[in-house]
Amino acid sequence: MDDELLELQRQFEFAQQAKSSIRLSERNVVELVQKLQELHIIDFELLHTVSGKEYITPEQLRHEIVAEVKKLGRVSLIDLADTTGVDLYHVEKQAQHVVSNDPGLMFIQGEIISQSYWDSVAEEINDRLQECSQIALAELAAQLHVGSELMASILEPRLGTLVKGRLEGGQLYTPAYVARVSAMVQGAARGITVPTNLSVLWSTLQQLLLEMEGGSGVAVEGSFFQSLFNGLVKEDKVLGMLRAGVHWTPTVFALAQKECVDSFFSQNSFISYEALHKLGISQQVQFLQSRYPEGIPLVTVFVHPSMIEMLDSAIEDAIDRGSWIDSLSVLSASFGLQDASKILSNCPSLHSALKANKALILGDSYIFSSGFVKDVYDRVEKELEALSLSGSYGTVQGGGSHLTKEAKSGNDSNRFSEQTETASESGNSKRGVEKGSKKKKGKSSGAKVTTTEGDSENEDYIPTKSKKSQKRGKDTSSSQVADAKAGGKRDSGKMQEENVPSEEWVMQKLLFLVPDFEEQGVDDPQIILGHLANYIRPMLINYWKQRRKALFTENAEKMRHLLDNLQRKLDESFLNMQLYEKALDLFEDDQSTSAILHRHLLRTTAASISDMLFLNLEKHNKLKIGIEVEESQNSESVILSSGERIAIAKSFPGSLSKKALVVAETLEGKRVETFMTALRELAEESGLLLKKLDKKLERTLLHSYRKDLISQVSAETDPISLLPKVVSLLYIQVHNKALQAPGRAISVAVNRLKDKLDDSPYKILTDYQSTTVTLLALMSAAAGNEDDCSADRILTKRELLESQMVALKGLVLGPSQS
Amino acid sequence: MEGWDPNTKSTLTQIPLLTTKAGPRDGAAWTQRLKEEYKALIAYTQMNKSNDNDWFRISAANPEGTRWTGKCWYVHNLLKYEFDLQFDIPVTYPATAPEIELPQLDGKTQKMYRGGKICLTVHFKPLWAKNCPRFGIAHALCLGLAPWLAAEIPILVDSGMIKHKDDAASSNDS
Repeated sequence: MDDELLELQRQFEFAQQAKSSIRLSERNVVELVQKLQELHIIDFELLHTVSGKEYITPEQLRHEIVAEVKKLGRVSLIDLADTTGVDLYHVEKQAQHVVSNDPGLMFIQGEIISQSYWDSVAEEINDRLQECSQIALAELAAQLHVGSELMASILEPRLGTLVKGRLEGGQLYTPAYVARVSAMVQGAARGITVPTNLSVLWSTLQQLLLEMEGGSGVAVEGSFFQSLFNGLVKEDKVLGMLRAGVHWTPTVFALAQKECVDSFFSQNSFISYEALHKLGISQQVQFLQSRYPEGIPLVTVFVHPSMIEMLDSAIEDAIDRGSWIDSLSVLSASFGLQDASKILSNCPSLHSALKANKALILGDSYIFSSGFVKDVYDRVEKELEALSLSGSYGTVQGGGSHLTKEAKSGNDSNRFSEQTETASESGNSKRGVEKGSKKKKGKSSGAKVTTTEGDSENEDYIPTKSKKSQKRGKDTSSSQVADAKAGGKRDSGKMQEENVPSEEWVMQKLLFLVPDFEEQGVDDPQIILGHLANYIRPMLINYWKQRRKALFTENAEKMRHLLDNLQRKLDESFLNMQLYEKALDLFEDDQSTSAILHRHLLRTTAASISDMLFLNLEKHNKLKIGIEVEESQNSESVILSSGERIAIAKSFPGSLSKKALVVAETLEGKRVETFMTALRELAEESGLLLKKLDKKLERTLLHSYRKDLISQVSAETDPISLLPKVVSLLYIQVHNKALQAPGRAISVAVNRLKDKLDDSPYKILTDYQSTTVTLLALMSAAAGNEDDCSADRILTKRELLESQMVALKGLVLGPSQS
Repeated sequence: MEGWDPNTKSTLTQIPLLTTKAGPRDGAAWTQRLKEEYKALIAYTQMNKSNDNDWFRISAANPEGTRWTGKCWYVHNLLKYEFDLQFDIPVTYPATAPEIELPQLDGKTQKMYRGGKICLTVHFKPLWAKNCPRFGIAHALCLGLAPWLAAEIPILVDSGMIKHKDDAASSNDS
């Protein structure tokens, strides 16, 4: 047996005999610990790890936390919970405990951070800062995952010690960097010579810095520059004034400004506020008044009293000479109208002259001596008188219209009204519109036909010219005061002064009468003329109104006369017309003859009546709107064509025109009755009376007509024209009707008499009639070819007729004599 | 090595492996082999004891060391069930694994051959063959008997086939 084997056997035996170690299961241990706690042998809080396999005491946990913090300087609680294997809740609790016991630790956003950590961070930052010369706080904060405010609060106590630099507007800078930027700021500030908004300057500096650093540097805040700049100002390294924190006015600039103002004012003895504004002085008046207490502030300029003296002497001179002066021409170009008026109010000689009524100020700057104005006014008035006497001043207007003189004057008058209206409208539009509407109302509601006529004319002619007149109206709008006055007058007064002379006209006249306005080299004579014209115009208007009134009374008389005349004439001819119309009844059964007769009557009597009516009405209209109408024409003698008639009818206003047109149309028609009704309506519209024919009147009329015919017949020598008269006379005798028959209807008329006359007289009549017809036929044929033979035949026929004339005359005259 | 629970596996790997390939008829070589067997058994026993997992006692029944006897036990429901253990080293050892017998349990379970030899899992034989001659008695116990006890004893106890010796005594008394 091997010893070794025996030894091993023994060892094995021994190993098997050895007592086996006793092990407790986890569960046993947990139970044991619980038991211990129950028995208060363990009388402190016991924590267990997340895995549940370990127990840990709070002290141990705190110890571990502190150890962890010491190791890293900064530990997040979540990491702690991981490393210790204890629930986050307990870790938090113990961490708070730890932090509250140790002043060198702080608890920030779930992290425990020690002061030593901050120190090391500050050192790092310092290293970086020395490298980059500037770091943004925000950048650091982002790198360290903390708030920038915290970062600032951490860094501030370490500035100057651990971190060598300064903190400015969220940026860290090294002193060298600060010195460099400060030098830049100083250079820039010294370089500025005009008032500047500093923020602009800062932005350019920023740009410059960025370029220098090639984009690597962080943008420098304006406030950094500002604080540096403020330091420089305090140290008097740059001179100037800082207003509202950003407006920098260098001393150099202020000096230059003062010198500039001084030199200009002393040289020109005035200075405009605009010039000061350009120099950068904002409160010009106060500035100037404090510097030059003797000066006078005007609206846009500041003047030295010497300026007033100069102007004063010039004005005095002008007034003494009885002339005029534009104060602006004396003053320099930078003076405005308001300045002129203000400076004028400071002129002593002008004051005295105004008091003595020797001078006038027009349009703020123009001074007229009253003598001059009076002279001009007299001349213009004369001119106006001359024009109004001639009845038309259309020639002055130079409007190349081809209308008749009367129409033109009417047109012009309307234009005047239009112009003044537009002018006042542009001045005070509301009032103008009101006025216009009032006026229109007045016009349209006015029962008088003639006023409306003016309106219609307005409508006809104005459109072509209204644009022009509106433009002119704008020109004159500067003189709204005078216009408004005129408007007021017009408002309160009547509408007659529509025909007042226009401003333009007055201006033209003035230019014509006083040519020296142009000679004196006034840039725009229109302006001064406008003012003068405005001044003169109210007086002219007054004068014109008086003249108009006189003219109107004259015209009214004429109108009455005209109407009376017309009525009379109308009565007469209308009665005749009615008389003739009655005769037409006889031929009512014969269509063709009746038509002929109707037309004949319309062509002759009716046409003459309507012509007479039309012409007189037209004249009446013209009188109504105040146009002088020459009495020379004898309207009755005029015979109008249908076209002329329509033209006149159209010129009538409104409904009258319509009615007149109807009348003109019916004249071309075939029925007398329609004409009669149209005529009646027209007469009614125009306020005339048409008398109806009654028995008595008819008889007397017939009688006179008959007598007339008899005398005509007895006096008649021409055999041809005798026939119709004889026939008419016969009709009166037989039918007691006045017949007006054309040649063609004679034969029919004669035939009609057949059963009314005895045979022999009828025979005479028919013979005569047939002979006349053949004669007329021959004559018309002879007109075509000159034939001796036909001439002879005409002659014989004529002789035959002449021989029969006596018999025919006897036929009609006989019974009447008997 | 699938087929065994991880505990068994880890234990198995900790048992020192043998090197000598010798059977009981190989004389000196067998002695050498026997020494290694002892060393492995010592290590295994110490391991079990240190893990509070001691579960058998064996010793060589003859000086050649070809027959081994001893006891093995299993704790179930805080009761220790103990059985006799015996086996012979076969002539073809180590190519053939020793057949462990639990004569007390003969006929009480189907997982057993005639004479009380325990049935091993299908994985045992290939693993043993593969590891010949590195596996020894200790390995056979660890891989064969320990799992068998763990699997069969609770069933046998629950089915009432075996009774604890105290119970058996009390029931006999009564």
